[in-house]
Amino acid sequence: MATSASAKKQDMPPEGGYKPISYKRIPAKTYFSGWALIGGYLGMTAAAGFLYYLNCKRLHRNEIEMRSGRFAIFPLLLAERDREYLKQLRRNRDEEAELMKNVEGWEVGTYYGEPLYKTVDKDKLIDPMMQGYYVHTPWKEFNRRAFIRQWS
Amino acid sequence: MSLSPSLKTPFTDFTGAVVSHQWGSRCRDMELKALDCLEAYGLTRGVTKCEDLITDFQECSLRVKEVSRYVAMRSERERQYHAGERTKENRYAPPPKPDSY
Repeated sequence: MATSASAKKQDMPPEGGYKPISYKRIPAKTYFSGWALIGGYLGMTAAAGFLYYLNCKRLHRNEIEMRSGRFAIFPLLLAERDREYLKQLRRNRDEEAELMKNVEGWEVGTYYGEPLYKTVDKDKLIDPMMQGYYVHTPWKEFNRRAFIRQWS
Repeated sequence: MSLSPSLKTPFTDFTGAVVSHQWGSRCRDMELKALDCLEAYGLTRGVTKCEDLITDFQECSLRVKEVSRYVAMRSERERQYHAGERTKENRYAPPPKPDSY
């Protein structure tokens, strides 16, 4: 019950009343439309695909280069390994001759005079077992090599 | 030597050659020669006539003589070391290169 002579401030609506309330929808801002997105995706994929293709060609060339290099040096490495193998066999034979020189009945390369094979040429190289390749070395060395065979 | 099963049945005929050295072993040729000889002469005559081929094949496969060689060499080396004929530095030979075998 307000008195007409009151100077109290009251919270009244502004002059002319409130403005109308806008209840229109405000959708989010679209930076790209749907078609623009699809087109951008395809364009980006095409460009990336082209760059990928260029890189693939370079990798292919690199692989060919590495493979050619390996083919070129493989016979050399194989020959080196074979030469070292034969040299070691000769060293083994000499070591055996020196070791068993005082054992009676022993001839180098035989078992107390009996050759290993009767129908095989004496000139034929018979590859020894791994134990025989390492027979004059400590067991640790043989173990190291046998470990590689066991795990490969 | 006994080279045939004591009781010959169709099962021993089937399973006689299931696994053999012909699958790429180093004794392939020796096995072939020995068995060809046995097949030519039959079992009774073959054991005496093909004895060299058979024993060579057995040596290739089982390596009895080769292993006995290594055992003899090894024990001789140890005997020499313990009898004082080899010094501690001389006991073994220097090892081969690891990737040469």
